[in-house]
Amino acid sequence: MKAYTCLAATAATLAVMAAGTAEAGAADDTMRVAFAEEILNLDYNYTTKREYIILSDLIDEGLFDYDPDSNEYIPSVATGYTYLDPTTIEVTLRDGVTFHDGSALTAEDVAYTYNFVISEPSEAQAKGTISRWLKEVEVIDAGTVRFHMLEEYPLAVRDMANRVQLRKAGTYDADQAAMATSHVGLGPYRVVSFEPGKEVVLQAYDGYFADSPKQPVAIGNIVIRNIPDLGTQQAELMSGGIDWMFKMSRDVAEAMGASPTVDHVVSTDLRIGFLILDAFGHTDAEGPLTNVTVRRAMNHAINRPEIAEFLMGGGAQPVYAACHPAQFGCDQSVARYEYDPEKARALMAEAGYADGFPLELWSYRDKPIAEAVVANLSDIGIDVSLRHVKLASLNEARANRDIEAYFGTWGSGGTPDSAAILRVHFNDTSDRNMSNNPEVTELVLAAEVTTDQAERKRLYSEALSIIADQAYWVPMVSYAQNFLVNAELDFPVYADGLPRLYRASWK
Amino acid sequence: MLKYILQRVALALAVAVVLSFVTFLLLNFATDPAYAIAGEDAEPEVVEQIRKTYGFDRPVLVRYAEWAGGVLRGDFGESYYWNKPVAELVADRAPVTLLLAVMSLSVTVVIALPLGIVAALNPNSALDRMALGIAVSAQAVPNFWLGLIMIILFAVQWRLLPVSGDATLMHFVLPSIVLGASSVPAVMRLTRTGMLDVMESDYIRTARAKGFRGAALVRRHALRNALLPVISVLAVQLGAKFSGSVITETIFAINGLGRLALESILGSDIPTVQILIFLFAIVFVAMNLLADILNAALDPRLRIA
Repeated sequence: MKAYTCLAATAATLAVMAAGTAEAGAADDTMRVAFAEEILNLDYNYTTKREYIILSDLIDEGLFDYDPDSNEYIPSVATGYTYLDPTTIEVTLRDGVTFHDGSALTAEDVAYTYNFVISEPSEAQAKGTISRWLKEVEVIDAGTVRFHMLEEYPLAVRDMANRVQLRKAGTYDADQAAMATSHVGLGPYRVVSFEPGKEVVLQAYDGYFADSPKQPVAIGNIVIRNIPDLGTQQAELMSGGIDWMFKMSRDVAEAMGASPTVDHVVSTDLRIGFLILDAFGHTDAEGPLTNVTVRRAMNHAINRPEIAEFLMGGGAQPVYAACHPAQFGCDQSVARYEYDPEKARALMAEAGYADGFPLELWSYRDKPIAEAVVANLSDIGIDVSLRHVKLASLNEARANRDIEAYFGTWGSGGTPDSAAILRVHFNDTSDRNMSNNPEVTELVLAAEVTTDQAERKRLYSEALSIIADQAYWVPMVSYAQNFLVNAELDFPVYADGLPRLYRASWK
Repeated sequence: MLKYILQRVALALAVAVVLSFVTFLLLNFATDPAYAIAGEDAEPEVVEQIRKTYGFDRPVLVRYAEWAGGVLRGDFGESYYWNKPVAELVADRAPVTLLLAVMSLSVTVVIALPLGIVAALNPNSALDRMALGIAVSAQAVPNFWLGLIMIILFAVQWRLLPVSGDATLMHFVLPSIVLGASSVPAVMRLTRTGMLDVMESDYIRTARAKGFRGAALVRRHALRNALLPVISVLAVQLGAKFSGSVITETIFAINGLGRLALESILGSDIPTVQILIFLFAIVFVAMNLLADILNAALDPRLRIA
């Protein structure tokens, strides 16, 4: 009897203590979010990766904002911009925008941020992108700054919206890591506390400017927890410990979504999946992949519709050009290689490979898709061995030109412009360029030094036609994003797949 | 004894230095840390910027020499991944892992010792078979599976304990059971074997003749000798738990050294991996040394030898 009493008492104590742990929900107006990736630095100017973009969207502002509905860059901290000449942009600033410490944003702050990012001592990761086109930012008056560019660059406004987050003048002078753990930004939420790799606590900033395109901000507090294991995240969601998680596979999301307390939300994404083939012959100058007929056969071998429908789901679509159909300049009239294994086998025979050939296919994510590709290619006689590795290993091997074909993906950093995917894959300085056709490189780079949008469209169209005709890639599918959210939460999604947590509200 | 301790410490340092050099080379040759830091969609300009910032464009041996020189001066370097001094990072995380290691070892002791004793006192009985069955099951169950099952039962289904985190002692209950369970078989079997040997020895027969029976016989005469090998194993297990809680800390989102090691390896954070391997090697050897000293303290015959 005594033993049972002890047991009951222990259970009761455990229950009471557990009840003291945080419960997610509307009751305390706190949305608890789980990231598998650690948040180690609050300063987006010094980071990359999607989790940092999501966080930065909450705590920072750039000059402009991207509107996923209209697919345009719209005023935010800036009220507008004017091209004074092809390499000079004048930007006007909004009144009444304040930092989280209450101080007003000035033109000096804007100029300081950009000029520091591109300066010699700067170690900002934004520097690589911005220093490509920006020469200097000049203060014209209290509400106007002028961007002097090195050359014409059509994505300058994109970079002003996405890549550089505004800081107070002098922020980085003494310490470039000043904002890494102690953040003062302009965004709808201010950082209350931060434990790197563990938790970021945010609170809605009551001084946030009313005209922001991010308004209205509905939820009072957001807590971002780093929980590395997706299984643990699911358990937290089921037990009420968190309200929101992402990056899980479709089957897991659908199974979890069947629970009455959890909603499965799906959005499309700007990420696409593709195979890149060593058409140039870096690994073997006489190899089968240098033969355009073989590459066309491989394009016909891939069952894009079924991969999109059964492996990706959620609005994923077959892709036939080397860009996302929603991106500017992504011409959809290029050569299409529909799924046709018979034709693929005929092309293999025509190329002299009726009995196939051995192929090592590298991949680093979405193994089920890579395995479907292996099955499709095996079906036309290619003896494929899949080498599924960590991204860093694939990058290393590709840099050493040791890869004859790989399954890659690209999210374009959420940029709805073909420049964001074509430059990085077809620039002659990039090891991702495995076709090395100088004509394609010239066209892609030419489209980045003119602001004439019609001309840019023409240049991209020409480049994409060559890429498709020569079958340098096997474009496959666009991606979908799966989110699991507390059923009490209203979480809208957008076509670019970027989760905008500031748009969430309680039902 | 002092000479023996000094020899063991020197050996540990030698092992740690060799390990650090091999680790440094392997991490640098296996991957480019700049890519790991930049992430999946980083443009080449950004990767190049990171490479320059962290000096990855310089020869590996030069960087190793710089790192080793820093360590000798007491500067363990700066983490690429976490952007803070490695010493500070390890100091922040070590208490969490130490607490988890001690709690899980307590779980091991609480389960394994009574099971081993009961099994030895009732050889070949149903109790013995049941104890062995528990031990074999604990050995067969993988950590990650047991962890998830415990979470589903105790945190999701019954809501008795928190799912993850390390904010309170309650957060350590499930991970301690998961981590402690894996050591139960070894300790239980050793206890059983030790007890069986001791119970058949002459001095126990003498004790029985003097009238000692049951718990008094076990506690005052048998256990002390039977536990000698168990203590060695427990000390080694403590070292193993200190460095080997990677999976458990990851599943339960505990910010200890195990999770730090995993994140640092995945992020190619060479300075942090270097120090962790150094630390784990030292702890392992120190725990072995502690086992020897404890054995000597408990058994006068070893002191004389």
